[in-house]
Parts: sequence; C-alpha cells; structure tokens
Amino acid sequence: MTYDGFPPFISAQLHYLINHFAHPVRVEQAWSGSKYSNTLDRFTLLIPYCLDTIKWDVIYNAEFPHAPPDIIFGPEDEDFHPFYNESGGEGDSRSIKNSLATWNNKDPTRLLALIWELRDQYMSYQRKRVGEVDDDRLKFEICTMLSREGIEMHMSSGVEKPEEVKFAVPLMDMNINKMVVGCPWRHPQKISLQVIYPVNRKYVSAPSAPHLKLMSTPALKSLFSVDDVKLPPWLDGMCMAEYLPHLEETLERQVSEAVSLIEVRRRFIEALAPLFGRPIETDSVFYRKSMFFVASGAFSFLVLFFLSTQFPKQQPSLMLQSSMYFNSQGMPIKSPLLTDYPWSPRWEHSQMAERTFEFLVDESVNFKKYCNEAQLQQNQH
Amino acid sequence: MEDLQLQKIAISGPTLASMIQRFSSSLGDVDGFIFGHVTHITPSTLSDDSASASTDSHLVATITGFICSGVPLSFYDSLGRVDSLKIPPLQHHHQQLLGWLSGRRHSPLRPSLREFSVTDSLSKIPQFHFPVKTQTRTLTLMPCVFILFTTPLADQLIHTHQYRAYQFNTFNRSFHPKTIDVINIGPAFRGHYGSFAPNCALPFMNCSSAAMEEESLSAKKEKVSDQEQLDLCAEGFQVESLKRLVGPDAASYTAGLEDLYEKMLAKVESLARLVESSSAQVLELENNNRKLRYKVARSTGLE
Repeated sequence: MTYDGFPPFISAQLHYLINHFAHPVRVEQAWSGSKYSNTLDRFTLLIPYCLDTIKWDVIYNAEFPHAPPDIIFGPEDEDFHPFYNESGGEGDSRSIKNSLATWNNKDPTRLLALIWELRDQYMSYQRKRVGEVDDDRLKFEICTMLSREGIEMHMSSGVEKPEEVKFAVPLMDMNINKMVVGCPWRHPQKISLQVIYPVNRKYVSAPSAPHLKLMSTPALKSLFSVDDVKLPPWLDGMCMAEYLPHLEETLERQVSEAVSLIEVRRRFIEALAPLFGRPIETDSVFYRKSMFFVASGAFSFLVLFFLSTQFPKQQPSLMLQSSMYFNSQGMPIKSPLLTDYPWSPRWEHSQMAERTFEFLVDESVNFKKYCNEAQLQQNQH
Repeated sequence: MEDLQLQKIAISGPTLASMIQRFSSSLGDVDGFIFGHVTHITPSTLSDDSASASTDSHLVATITGFICSGVPLSFYDSLGRVDSLKIPPLQHHHQQLLGWLSGRRHSPLRPSLREFSVTDSLSKIPQFHFPVKTQTRTLTLMPCVFILFTTPLADQLIHTHQYRAYQFNTFNRSFHPKTIDVINIGPAFRGHYGSFAPNCALPFMNCSSAAMEEESLSAKKEKVSDQEQLDLCAEGFQVESLKRLVGPDAASYTAGLEDLYEKMLAKVESLARLVESSSAQVLELENNNRKLRYKVARSTGLE
C-alpha cells in the first residue's frame, strides 16, 4: 500500500498506525472528499477482531486539516456509540479525556491512539452484548473464560442468520517468536481457538457441541500448520474450562516439536551437500526450501527441494528445472512435482540423501527426454 | 413525555434540490440546519382501513428552509457537542428548528460517530423544544430530524448523490429511517394545499386617505417605518400608493395591484443579482482560502 495521494499529515498518521498497531491493520480503499482536488482523505480500515475483521471508515477532511476525523462503523454495529456520555448536553465542558477531544493533526501517533481506544471500546461493547444473551450455558462459559488474557467475543445476529456467539480464545502462554532462531516475524505469532456457540434461549437438556476451529497468525504456517492438528473430541456436557487445558498441553508439545524439526531439516540439507554440491539458495530460517545445481554429463539442471513441516514423516517434494531448455514463453522447462520415490523416515540423514541422489540420477534421464520432446514440439509449431 | 414518531418528512422539490446544490458546490464536507414545522394531519377514519393504520403516527414534519454552513464542525466540537450560541435565531415565528443536515462525499450512507453525538446533543437543548398542536392536546417535540447526504462510493452508478432522512429517538438513542416525501407543484399534489395558511411578512398598515394625508409627527414616523417594511419586499413602491388598494380608489384596484406586483418582481430580480455577485465573491474567497489551507497542510506535513 502506498500513501501517495494523501496529504502529508494523514499519510504520516496512517503510516504510523499501520507500522505500530498491535494487530495487522490494512487500508482497503481510499477516496477524496474535496471538490477541486483529488487529495485522498477518507478510507476504509480493516481491523482484525475476534479472528475476523471489522471495517471502519475513517473520514478526514483535506480541506480542513485541523478538524479531527470522524468514524463510520459497520452497518451491523448501529448501537455502538463510543465516547457517548449519558448526561452530556449542550456545551458540556467537563473534562472528557479521549483521543478526539485532544486531537492534534501534527502528531503522527494520534490516529493509532484513536483506533486503539475505539477498538478497546468495541471489545467492551461486544462483551456487554454477549453478557446480555439469555442462555445458561453461555453465561457459565463466560464466567469461567473471562479471566483469560486477550479473549475476544462477538455477538452476531442477522435477520436470516441464527444468533450465535463467537469467542476468540488465545492459547498457550508461550512466545513462539523467541523459540525460532533468527525469527523474521514482526508481529508475535499466536494460536487461537475459535469457539462458536449457537444461542439457545430455551432450556436444552443436552446442548450441542460448539463449533471449534484452530486458527493461527498466517506467518506461522512456515513453522507449524494448525490444519494438521487433530482437535481432541468434545464430550457431552463438557465445558471450555475442561477442554482448554488438555488442548493447550497437546499444542505446546506439538509446537516445541515443530521447532525442533527445523534442526532436522537443516541437517538433511547439509547431508545433501557432499552429493549435490553446495546449495545455490536455502531458506536459512525454517529450512523449508533449498535449490541445488546438478550436472550430469553435458546436461545440467536445478533441483528444488520443498520440505513440509511434517518432514521427515513426509518426504520432500522435488522439482527439476532445466537451465538450457525453455518453453515458448521463454520460461525454463520444469518437471512436475516428484513426491513418489523410495523413502523412510527411519533412515539416517546420509542415507536419505544417498537414496534421493540415486533416484535423481535415474530421473535426470527421464527429465532430459522430457526437455528434448518439449523442445521438438515447439520447433514443429 | 412519550416518544413522538413522525410519519414522514415532507420537503418541496426546490428546497431539496437547493440542499443538494449547496452540498455539491461545497469545498469539502458540510453541515447545516433544517427549519420547518410539524403538523398533525387528520387521520382518515374510513371503516375499511386496517386496524394497524389507526395506531400510526399522524405527525408530518415539513421542511421549509435550511441554512448550509459550507464547512464541517460549524456549530459543534470534535466530540459532537453542540454550542447553542452558534445556532442562528429563528426568522419567523411559524418556523422551528427541526434538526440538522450533514453532507460528506464518498462515504457510507450511515450516521457516523460524530453525527450521532451532534443529533443527541441538539435534541437535548430545551430552548429548541417546540409545541405541536393536535385536535386534543399540545405535544412537545425537539429538533430530531437528521438528513444525511453522500455521494456514492462506486463510480459506475448513474446517480451522483444520495440522501437518507432519520428521526432521532431520544428514548433509546437511535436513528429511525424516515421516508422523504417530495412535494411539487401540480395537480397530483393539490391535497397538500388544502391546509395552506397564507402568512404575510407585512404588518398591519394604516393606509386610509385620512392617515396618508395627516401631517403630524407620529403619523410621519409611522409612514417612514411602513415604507421601510414595504421596501423589503417591493422596489420603489410608495406607501401612499397602498391607499389605491382600499376605499373609493379601489376602482383602479387592478392597475394598483399590478404595479405592486411588478415592483415586487423588480425587488426579487435585484435580490437575485445581489446573490449572484456575492456568490462570485464567496467563490473567489473560498479559492483563496483553499490555497492558504493547502499551504498550511504542506507545512504541517513537513514539520
């Protein structure tokens, strides 16, 4: 996202917000409110909330730079009135302290302070709405979970949708960023459990299991995929307070294992070097990708190794890429992904490397033929 | 005090067009006041009406005038707290402050954080509460009408402006969308003129022959003040000529009335010219201000 088109004071505040906000916020679209110029001064902000995003429109006025911005909330939040003071009538000059009252357009941190304050109020507003739901199980679950740090909740009620309450429960008090050597992540990586309860207004003898889904910050995928985790079963009559400790324990073990697997992948790539030569390129944080240059007689090509987070249980996917043959678009000819070749996770690293090498010696003949055919076809056209 | 629901909001086509024109010719976002009156319409009591119809509200807010500030935050602060000293006094006794309007380009057609606060704050000022007479009793209403103007976010649409009217419910602090009934002149709207009560800006003037010829100081004084009143709506029409419209001289009534009418038209025309030239001046000033603001914005960003 570029900040061209915004006047400098908006651009400075927006820049600061996007770079310093605790959650990754994004600008979806921006418009101009001026008659004569095309100066952008209003935009839709996407703010992560409860494992989802909320869209708020921030309305500045390029023609009146000293005026603080106004906010338009989502259409489903028409009852959300932050900064509202019950008694405040006309000219009420009692010292109200909030980011709008003390606005200063020259201070680049102000937009962040405003959005932070509003998101905080939004959290309380949603918590209040969820608290008002007349459902005994929900009331119980809220009581037991409320003490969890960083828990967020959301009440969704549409005309056509059934009412449901959504919780975002942050799991595990472990700093994953610290566990990774040379950690490239700017935001702390987190795993959360999304719990969705249908609202039961009447007494139900056996309330249905909530809908459970593990979610993580997107960048965590290069280390650990939450999709690979099998959630423990939800037993009848269970509650979150019983379910969470067990889940957290399992997850903690799996994340530690995932971190230790980085080292396993690194050692495998090192074991490849005596046979393939030094890699041209390697992902040196997670060791998920590596590229080697191989020559077999006059035929030379690149070998790409893709290692999954499940390595060594799952064998690497290989891809060959020619350095001499190109297709009609001028792109180097590539083999399809090779995933089926002799492999055992019980082998030593050196044996894994040797067996892969042997496979590739045979495969290179096929690949050469494949390249020649592709070339021939191209010449015929 | 019960909550009084408006059935609809009525506005004449030219007034609405003029609001949109003010919004579309403004530099940036704008706000303003809406004036008019609320009337209680006689409910129809036809026997075949459904039962629910009788419980409907019979209050109609009619917008007769507005003031557009041309700027945002003209009468409230950043938190939306209204400063009642910045609200202009009412021009006519039959006009009330009905509410306010906000216009902002390229933004969603929903009330914003600040618009909510302003509407809430405005409805709480007791001096702007006004009475509404029904057949049986007198109700008290507050400025609760809010009209929002925006321009669409998507460029491909055919329409260039959009608006929505709301009534602010002071009890549960929420906006209720209301239909805007655009009233135009023509046979289809004849019903609206049935309840028309003409009102005249001119006070009672003594224009009998005797009064006109009286030479006393007080009579002269009265004549001067009458002339001033008359000059407000007609150009170059002598107060003495009024006597031709009453008494024995009324035989030449038509000619006299035509004369008055022509002079009134002349007044309107000269007012229009005045507006035209002052608009040009305003535009020039606005352009100048815009350049200055641009300079300020540049320098703020550089600091």
